[in-house]
Amino acid sequence: MKTTVFTSRLILNLIQQNMSKISIVILVLLVSLSSCVAVKEYEKVNLSDPDMVLAQKKIDRFKTAFQVYREGASGANGGKSGGGCGCN
Amino acid sequence: MEVNLVVAVAVINRNNMKNVLLIFIAMWTAQLSAQQDSTLVYKKRVLETTEVDFLTSYYGQDGKNAAVTGGIGTEKLTDITAAIVVSIPMNEDDVLTVDAGFSAYTSASSSNGNPFDISGASGNDDDDDDDDDDRVGQKAIGDVIGSPWVASSGASGADVWTNVNVDYAHSSDDRNTIWNADISFANEYDYLSLGFGGGLTKLYNEKNTTLGLSSKVYLDTWRPIYPTELKAYDDVNGNQNDGFFEGVTIVDQQGNATVNWRPLNGFETIEGKGRNSYAVSFSFAQILSKNAQFSLFMDVVKQQGWLGNPMQRVYFSDVANFYIGNASSIPNYTSSVNKDVFQLADDIERLPSDRLKIPIGFRLNYFVNERISLRTYYRYYFDDWGIKSNTASLEIPIKISDKFTLYPSYRYYDQTKADYFAPYEAHSSTRKFYTSDYDLSAFTANQYGFGVSYTDIFSAAHVWKLGLKSIDLRYNNYQRNTGLNANYVGLGFTFLMD
Repeated sequence: MKTTVFTSRLILNLIQQNMSKISIVILVLLVSLSSCVAVKEYEKVNLSDPDMVLAQKKIDRFKTAFQVYREGASGANGGKSGGGCGCN
Repeated sequence: MEVNLVVAVAVINRNNMKNVLLIFIAMWTAQLSAQQDSTLVYKKRVLETTEVDFLTSYYGQDGKNAAVTGGIGTEKLTDITAAIVVSIPMNEDDVLTVDAGFSAYTSASSSNGNPFDISGASGNDDDDDDDDDDRVGQKAIGDVIGSPWVASSGASGADVWTNVNVDYAHSSDDRNTIWNADISFANEYDYLSLGFGGGLTKLYNEKNTTLGLSSKVYLDTWRPIYPTELKAYDDVNGNQNDGFFEGVTIVDQQGNATVNWRPLNGFETIEGKGRNSYAVSFSFAQILSKNAQFSLFMDVVKQQGWLGNPMQRVYFSDVANFYIGNASSIPNYTSSVNKDVFQLADDIERLPSDRLKIPIGFRLNYFVNERISLRTYYRYYFDDWGIKSNTASLEIPIKISDKFTLYPSYRYYDQTKADYFAPYEAHSSTRKFYTSDYDLSAFTANQYGFGVSYTDIFSAAHVWKLGLKSIDLRYNNYQRNTGLNANYVGLGFTFLMD
């Protein structure tokens, strides 16, 4: 319980310290959403192109792996975010 | 004739109205059933056929800030990886994916866990692990040398990381709900990892909006390898005339023989060898138009346990220096001309046993026209070790024919240093936590890439029962302003089972 409270406070502090960056992301998100019109299935030809996939491609997985080793930051790309190796 | 037929039908109808009604109901029911069956029969499968990916890569790097030798020394490393990913449709809704691979590296830096091996000094078992089996060969005084700038032949200089991951995913009939569960296992010389996780994805708004929530737990264990001199010091309780140190001359900064070397607080092997990671990931994806879509990712990762690497040395500015090797090379210790003297560690890196990491990523893809697309990515990262980081990348797929696509790309990365980082000989021994791992230093990095893909939608070319769907080739050059330079080549083949 004590650990949970401590962790929650830590998360809140970190978010407060980085509020400006997070606000920009949320703003972009809201602006994007406000202009959304539902695209029908038959209109998704271009979006279905393999190069439009909203995720890391399989061929890039090892490239991301070495970045995880060589850099302090990791995660938020749909792949590994920590653990599973003796890396950062 | 016509009159007779009408009369006959009327008679049948009068006499068998009840039966006709029953037949009609039966037929209607059968038709409904048939409609339902046809829905089932023609439900589009999540994955039409078994897909097999063969992936391989080569990675090579060099630099001058090896963490194993305290922030100076060669970082030369080569790594070859291979993996096979098999996705099997279990039925219309379920997909089983088995992902197995290995990564084999040779590292000059890691080999310097035991740098004295270049003189063949450390005997028959030089693994410097937690066992008490490190034996010493016969050495003559002055024979034992080492250098942070020379690769050793120590056991830790090469390793193979093996990994298996099994994932099971289920999609609902309307394909608007997907859940998955996975387990993973990884093993390397000094590290063991068990992982499991699961996730739920929901699609809304005619599949224009996607929300995802997933979690992953890794329960990892170190099989720690320590710097040879520290482990040997612990093994012989500091007696520098015994064990590894027998017949070895330790010299001070002036080159005078001494037995006064003592690691910080004396050295003891680590107690807690576990490293647990708990990750929760949120994702949100939105189609913006017929040509644009974006996604937002956020992870919250909590790590607990031994978060440093037990093989990485630290040298303090306020602690006297001691060496093994050629005393005349001490003035050139930080230069790559030094090939024959090695500084004994003051300690291994010490880092907090907790770390909270929060990366937030944003991906926007835009279909410009039939030939060109834009793939953009930005990530902001922060953690409670003081690292803040920006990552931005752009990839521009250019279709040059119906089968070939080019992939020029650029990636920018920067980070602030961790609170616990300082370079070689810059730490104070009074601090609780310290590391000289330049992966945790402040730096910027630029990565330039180029790739080409071949795609055959008919999978005409065959190997056994596998039809070749695509071939991907990628090259990347990675340059860090700390001097680290790396090259990466990736090659992948995707096959569809007949």
